[in-house]
Amino acid sequence: MSDEPLQPFSPPTSLAGLLPEGVSAGVLVEWALYIVFAFWAIFTIIAIYHWLKYSHASWVAFPAIGVHLFVSITLMAYALSGVIIVSL
Amino acid sequence: MKEFELEPGEHVVLEVRKHWFLFLAELLPYAIMAVAPFALPGIFSYAPPLAPYAAFLDFSTPLARAALGVWLLVVWTGAWGAFTKYFLNAWVLTSQRIVNIKQHRFFSRSVSSLFLSRIQDVTTDVHGILSSLLGIGTIKAQTAAEDVQFVMAGIPRPEMMRDLILKYVPEDDSPPPAGV
Repeated sequence: MSDEPLQPFSPPTSLAGLLPEGVSAGVLVEWALYIVFAFWAIFTIIAIYHWLKYSHASWVAFPAIGVHLFVSITLMAYALSGVIIVSL
Repeated sequence: MKEFELEPGEHVVLEVRKHWFLFLAELLPYAIMAVAPFALPGIFSYAPPLAPYAAFLDFSTPLARAALGVWLLVVWTGAWGAFTKYFLNAWVLTSQRIVNIKQHRFFSRSVSSLFLSRIQDVTTDVHGILSSLLGIGTIKAQTAAEDVQFVMAGIPRPEMMRDLILKYVPEDDSPPPAGV
């Protein structure tokens, strides 16, 4: 086994050359984020439906939904802030 | 309570969920995943061959911030989903029956009832140091039919729950209410 230290792999910048004309890496990342957020939205809607259908009378339901939405939107804003800067 | 209708004269005595410690144990993988992006650079510094990889976890670049934001969003949503599942699973003890509400996953739910008048024997199991210290146990309610057993696993204060069940078990041999 070689004693040489591991070399960090380089980001696949060469893949950017494969992108269609007019599509930048920033736009691609932005769309990837939108897809993730779409999955998040579907999951959240389904979970909220279960909360409201089966625990509507519980005092935990609305705080739980509120905290989830607040934390999620904060994280989304954080994720998108970097992408917006890239796009500009 | 929407899952089942209370019979006339029936009232809810207690609603319990799994012990909070078991829920925390379920959250542990999510906590590790949430901390990992921040802890790994420090860990890498102790392993010189891995030190160059720490540069990938520098969240000052927009792309890294986006990746971190998505990672934390996925972890948070998973943890919240675990809490949702934890909360929607419950046992309800009424004055006439025990109701087991089980949320297997989204859109998969079962609600089963065991009338207290059918119970012949109630057993509590508490195994291990942690379970004994925290009061986590299993209750098994056995009916006259040997194959029918109602199990409540990971319940807090099982002895108290057992006593409460036995308190509401009718002493006479009256038949169970209609609709069992």
